Amino acid sequence: MRKGFEKQLEELNMEIIKMGALCEKAILGTTKALFQGDDTYIEKCRLVEEEIDKSERDIENLCMGLFIKQQPVASDLRNISSALKMISDMERIGDQCADISSMIRYTKEQDMSEYTHLDEMSKVATKMVSNAVESYVQQDIKLARSVMDIDDIVDRQFDEVKHNLIKHISIMPENGEFWIDVIMIAKYYERIADHAVNIAEWVEYSITGEHR
Amino acid sequence: MKKRIFRNTMLVMFFVVALCGVLILGVLYDHFTDELQGELINEATYITQGVEANGIDYLNQLEKIDTRITWVDTDGTVLYDNKVDALTMENHGDRQEIKVAMTSSKGKSIRYSNTLAEKTIYYAVRIADGSVIRVSNTQSSVVQILKEMLRPVIVVLLMAFALAGVLAYRVAKQIMAPLDNIDFEHPEDAKVYDEMAPFISKIIRQNKQIKANMDVLQSQQQEFRLITENMQEGFIVIDKTAHILSYNTSALKLFGVNMEVENKSVLVLNRTDQFSKLVNDSLQGKHMEEIILLGDRYCNVYINPVMDKEYVAGAVIIITDVTEKEERENLRREFSANVSHELKTPLTSISGIAEIIKNGIVDEKDIPKFAGNIYEEAKRLISLVEDIIKISRMDEMEGIPEKQPVDLYVVAQKALENLSQTAENKNIKVEQKGDFCQISGVEVILYEMIYNICDNAIKYNKQGGNVIVETGYEAEQAYIRVSDTGIGIPEEQIDRIFERFYRVDKSHSKDVGGTGLGLSIVKHGAKLHNATIDVDSTLSQGTTITMRFGI
Repeated sequence: MRKGFEKQLEELNMEIIKMGALCEKAILGTTKALFQGDDTYIEKCRLVEEEIDKSERDIENLCMGLFIKQQPVASDLRNISSALKMISDMERIGDQCADISSMIRYTKEQDMSEYTHLDEMSKVATKMVSNAVESYVQQDIKLARSVMDIDDIVDRQFDEVKHNLIKHISIMPENGEFWIDVIMIAKYYERIADHAVNIAEWVEYSITGEHR
Repeated sequence: MKKRIFRNTMLVMFFVVALCGVLILGVLYDHFTDELQGELINEATYITQGVEANGIDYLNQLEKIDTRITWVDTDGTVLYDNKVDALTMENHGDRQEIKVAMTSSKGKSIRYSNTLAEKTIYYAVRIADGSVIRVSNTQSSVVQILKEMLRPVIVVLLMAFALAGVLAYRVAKQIMAPLDNIDFEHPEDAKVYDEMAPFISKIIRQNKQIKANMDVLQSQQQEFRLITENMQEGFIVIDKTAHILSYNTSALKLFGVNMEVENKSVLVLNRTDQFSKLVNDSLQGKHMEEIILLGDRYCNVYINPVMDKEYVAGAVIIITDVTEKEERENLRREFSANVSHELKTPLTSISGIAEIIKNGIVDEKDIPKFAGNIYEEAKRLISLVEDIIKISRMDEMEGIPEKQPVDLYVVAQKALENLSQTAENKNIKVEQKGDFCQISGVEVILYEMIYNICDNAIKYNKQGGNVIVETGYEAEQAYIRVSDTGIGIPEEQIDRIFERFYRVDKSHSKDVGGTGLGLSIVKHGAKLHNATIDVDSTLSQGTTITMRFGI
C-alpha cells in the first residue's frame, strides 16, 4: 500500500516536471517566434497548449486519486495540494503563450526587437518560468525566492514598455492597432511572470509549509 | 522449536498421567477387592459364632444387611438365604466354595452369579454341625467405590497435568534460551550446546566470507567512484525506468544541478524534449549520440543501453563538454565560407578582364591598363593567401620559432619604416615615442602584429591625420600603444573587429585595401604571447589600441 503510494508520488513529481518542461518549451518557442522571426513554433503552439491542458487534467486526476485513496498527511499532503495549485498556474502560462503566438501573425510585418524593453521583458519572464520549474525540480527554496524577487523587474519593465508606447503612438498614430498588440503582448508577459511567481510560492510552500 | 518441545512434552505427560490414572484405579480395585474379602471373612466368623449359639433365629434377627448370607446343610440343601427364598433355591452342594468348605472347613470362590447377574465373591465356613455358612457380596460395591474415587483422582491428575504444562513451558523456554540468545553478528561469543557447535562454526565461517565479499565489493565501488569522480566527462548510470543509479559530480556540474539525485528520475537533470527522447530511445536498446545545449555549453551526450541478455537493464550516459570544439568548428566553417568568397572576388575580376582581352575586344593601347588591373588583383590575391597562410600557421602552432628577447621599440621602428611610403601617400604624420622595451617573444609575429595595427591606423585615418606609436613599461608590463586620429570604430562593433574577415565598413571597399585578416592575426599573435589588447575608440575621433605583454 505504502509502496504504491510512494510510487504514485514519484509519478506525480515526474508528471509535474514534464508539464513544467512543456511550459518552458511554450514560452521559449513563443519568444523566439516573436523576436527572432523563427516561426516554426507557431504551428506547434496549439498542440503544445493542448498537451499542457491534458497534462493538467491528468495531474488533477492523479492528485484527486491520491487524496481519496491514500489520505495523505503532513508533507505529502502539502506536496499534493501545492501540485494542484501549481498546475493551474502552469496551464495559464500555456494559455498565455498560445495567445501571444496567435498574435504574432498580426505583428509579423514589424520588427519587434526594436522595442528593447519588450525584448528584455520577455527574456526575464522566460527566465522566471524556467527558474520556477527548476526550483520545483531541484526543490531549491533559494531559487524559488529569487523568482519572487525578479517579479519587480518585470513590473518595472512593463511600465517602461507602456511609456515608450505612448511616445510611439503620438509619433505614429496610424499604427494604432500594432501598438495595442504590443501592449497586450507585454501584458501577457507580465501575467506569465506573475504565474511563475505563484509557482515559486507553491514550491516554497511545499517545502516549508509557509505560503505568502 | 519451543512449541514443538512443549507439545511433545505435553503429549508424553498426557500419556504418563493417563497411565498413572489407569494404574491407580487398577491398584485401588485390587485393594478394595481384598478389603471386601477380609470383611467377608470377619462377617462369616461372626455369623458362624452366632449360628452355632442360636441357630436359625440368629440369622432371622439379622435383617438389614448388604451381605448375602446362605446356610447350606451338609447334603447341600439351602436352609436359609437372606436375599432369595430358600425353598426355591436348588441344591448348593456342588458349589465350589461349599465343597471346599465341607472338606477343609473354609472355602472361597469368585464367580459370576447367574442368579444375581453380577460378579460375586463367596466365602464359606463349616460350622460345628457340619453345615456350611456362606457369606457373599457382589463386587459392584467395589466398582461403586471406584466410581466415587474417579472424580478426585481425575481432578488431581488434571492439576498434575496443568502443573506439567507450566513446567514443560518453562523447560522448553530454558532449553531454547541459548539458541534464542545467539547474536548472529558475533556468533563466536555464543554459548550453546555442543550439538550446535558445527552450526555456529559454519555461521562464523559464512559471516567471514560475507564480510570479505562485502569488503571486496565496497573497495571496488570505491575505486569505481574515485575513477568516475575524477573524470572530466559527466557519467550517469540509469536503470530501465530512467532512475539514476550512479553519477559523478562532473555530470551534475554539466547539467547545472546542485542536489543529490540518486534514485531520482533522470528528467530531474534535464527535462527538454531532446534529452528525454534520447533517454527513451536508448532504453529501447539503441545507441544514441547527440549534441545538446546545456545552459550555454554544447555537450555531446552518448547514451549506451546496458543489455541483460535480450532486455535493456538500463543505460550509461556519458556527457562531454564540446563547446570549444563546437565553437572552433563554427569558426572554421565561417572561415572557409569567407575565404572562398574573398578569394573568388579578385579571381572573378582577373578572369573577367582576361576574357575580354582573349576575345580581342580591347584596343591594343588599353591592354597595359587592363594588365595593370590583373596585376593589382593578383597582388591582392597573393597578400590574402599570405595572410591566410600566416593565420593558419598560428592556428596550428606550426613552424613558429622559439621565443627570444625582442625589443618592441625596434620592431615598431622597422614596421613604421616599411609603412612610411603608405603614410606619405595619405599625408599622415607618424610619430614614435617611448623607450626601448624588451620582452620575450617571436620577432616575426610581433612585427606582423605591430605592422598590422599601424597599417590600420594609417589606412583608416583621415587625410593629414596623426599616428602615435608609444612603447614602454607600465605596472610591470611592457606595452605598445598605437593612437590614431582616424574614423574610429562604432562601440558595439569593437568586440567583433578581431573576427576573421570582419569589417566595420561592410562594402569591402577596395580603395582602402586590406584582407580583413589583419586584426585577426594580431589577436592570434597576442594569444601566443599571452598579451592583452585594449581598444578604446571614439567615432570619427580616433582609435587607441594598447597591447600589454607580461615581462
